[in-house]
Amino acid sequence: MSKMSRRDFLKRSVVAGGVVMSGAGKLAFAADGSPVGTFYDLTKCDGCRDLPVPACVTACREENQQKFPRPADQIELYWPRNIKEDWSDKKELTTRLTPYNWTFVQTVSVEHNGQTVQVSMPRRCMHCDNPPCATLCPFGAQNKMPEGPVLINKELCLGGAKCRDVCPWGIPARQAGVGLYMKIAPKYLGAGVMYKCDLCYDRIRSGGAPACVEACPKRAIQFGETKAMLEAAQARNSAINGYIYGDKENGGTSTFYVSPVPFERINEKLQEQKSRQENPKAPGFPGTPVEVGNILDTANGTVAGLVIAPLAGAFAAGYAAYKTMKGGE
Amino acid sequence: MAQKILPDENKVQRHGFRGRFTHWTVALSTLALIVSGFGQMPMYKRYYIADLPGLGWTADYSTTLIVHYLAAMVLLFAVTFHLVFHVIRKDYDLIPKRGDFRTSYLIIKAMVTEQEAPPSGKYLAEQRLAYAFLAFSFLIVGLTGLLKVLKNLPSVNFSAQAMVWISDLHTLSAFLLVFGIVAHLAAFLFRENRPLLPAMFTGKVNLNYVKHRHRLWYARLSGKGSAVSLQEAPAQVPEENIRVS
Ligand code: SF4
Ligand code: SF4
Repeated sequence: MSKMSRRDFLKRSVVAGGVVMSGAGKLAFAADGSPVGTFYDLTKCDGCRDLPVPACVTACREENQQKFPRPADQIELYWPRNIKEDWSDKKELTTRLTPYNWTFVQTVSVEHNGQTVQVSMPRRCMHCDNPPCATLCPFGAQNKMPEGPVLINKELCLGGAKCRDVCPWGIPARQAGVGLYMKIAPKYLGAGVMYKCDLCYDRIRSGGAPACVEACPKRAIQFGETKAMLEAAQARNSAINGYIYGDKENGGTSTFYVSPVPFERINEKLQEQKSRQENPKAPGFPGTPVEVGNILDTANGTVAGLVIAPLAGAFAAGYAAYKTMKGGE
Repeated sequence: MAQKILPDENKVQRHGFRGRFTHWTVALSTLALIVSGFGQMPMYKRYYIADLPGLGWTADYSTTLIVHYLAAMVLLFAVTFHLVFHVIRKDYDLIPKRGDFRTSYLIIKAMVTEQEAPPSGKYLAEQRLAYAFLAFSFLIVGLTGLLKVLKNLPSVNFSAQAMVWISDLHTLSAFLLVFGIVAHLAAFLFRENRPLLPAMFTGKVNLNYVKHRHRLWYARLSGKGSAVSLQEAPAQVPEENIRVS
C-alpha cells in the first residue's frame, strides 16, 4: 500500500472505529491500521434455516456481482486434455464455492456428549497469515495485503489452480474463458482465472465491514482487528467450553470459528457429505482438517541449509586452494 | 587443476578432479532445479508428464518444492566453492577478455568454413562468453530465488508489486539459463569441439588437438611460449600475424 493510501486507510478506519461493526460493539475496527479478521460464532449461526439462501450468502453474491467472471462464449478445452472448468451455467449454485459464489454454509449434525447438535458453518477463504496460495503463485498474482485479506489479481492470474492445490481447503475456484491467458494461446497455455472471497476489500478499505458481516441477522460474524477477533473467539470458546478453528490451522489464519462440538467430528460429517455428492472430487466443498499444516513448513524447515551450504562451499574452497598452492600446483 | 602435458598418453590433463566435480555438481543440481522449478508451474499434470512412469512426483508441489530447496543448497555449495577457489588462486582463465566477441566469430567461422582457427588459450573465446552468460543468468536466478525463499518464510511478506517483479525475474532468468545450457550443449554439434568432451569425464584431452587448436595454452604448458605469444590473440590482429614459436 502506498503512503497515501495507507494514510487514507487509517483516516477512514478511525472514522469507522466509532461505528459498530459486529455483534460485539466494543470492537473498534482496525483503528490503528492493524490487519483485520473475522470471528464466526457457530453457537449463534443457525444457517438461516428459514431462508432459501442464507443471508450472508445472498449479501456476498449481491456485493460481488460486479467482480464475478464474464467468460467468453466459446471456451477451448485445456489441451491436451478434454476438460475445462466452466461454472458459467451454474451461477445459481449456492451450496458450494464457485467462481460465482464465494461463501456458502455447511450444516452437519454431530453427536456430542450424548446429544445431537446441529452446526452450521459459513465457509470461505480463511485469509491465512502465511497464505501458500499467494506465496507459491509462480506469477506473483496473489497477495496478502497489509490490511489482512488475501487477494487474487485477476489481470495476472492464468488459472493454473496451484493456489487451490496448496490451500488446505481448496478454496479458490476456477472459471475458464476469462483473463490473461485468453490473449496468449488459450488452447495450449493457461486455464482461466481463480476467484474467491476478498473480504470485501473495497469496503474495508473505506472503513466498512464485509457484506456478510452486516447481513447476518444473528450477528454471528464479528469483524475487527485480527488480534481482537482471536481474543473474542478465545473468550467465547472458554465460556462455552467449546472448540476453536482457524487459529492454528495452516500456520494461523485471520478467520476463527468457535463451535460447541469438536471440528474433528464436523470434518468427518463433511467428508461423508462430500463422498455422497454427485462428483465427490469436485472442488469447492472444504472440510475442517484440525491443525492442518502449511505446505511451506517442510521447505521453511530446511532454510538453515541454504545459509550453511555457501559457507561450507567457501570453507572447502579455502582449504582446497591452500592445499594445492602449498603443493605447488 | 594439475594441468600438464602427459606425453606418454599423448594427452593433456585439462581438468583436475575438483574442476570436474564442481562442473558436474553444478550441472546436476541445476538440472534438478530446472525440473523441480518448472514443476512449480501447473504443467506436468496437465501435459501428462506426471503420468510417465516414475514421474508422478513431478505433479506434487510439496515434493518439487523440497527438491528445489535441496538442489539449491547443493548448487550454492558448488558455486561458492568454484568462486572462492578461483579467486584465491587468482585463476581467471574463464573471464571474458577484450575482443572475445570477434574472436568467437572467427572461431565459429573457421568451424563452418573448415579453415584454421585463431590460436586459443585454455578456453576458447566463446567458452568464456558462454561462461559469462551462464554466470549472469545464475546470478539473477539465484538472487531472485533467495528472495523467494525469504518470502516463503512466515514472518516475511513482500508488497504485491515486489512479488510480481521477483517472480517474473526468477522465471525469466531461468529461461535465460535454460537457453544458455542448450547453447552450451549445442557446441558439441560441431565436430571441432568434440575432443573437449572427454575432458569433462576423464579430465584429459588429446595432445594433438591441444597443439592444433589451443596453441597458446600448449605454449604455456610446455613452457615454450614467449611473453608475446602467451597473450591471446586480440581480435583486431589478423591471425596470420600470430605465430607461436
Ligand atoms: S484459505 Fe486457502 S485461499 Fe484463503 S488465504 Fe488460506 S490458503 Fe489462501
Ligand atoms: S452467518 Fe448469519 S447470515 Fe450467515 S448463515 Fe449464519 S446466521 Fe445466516
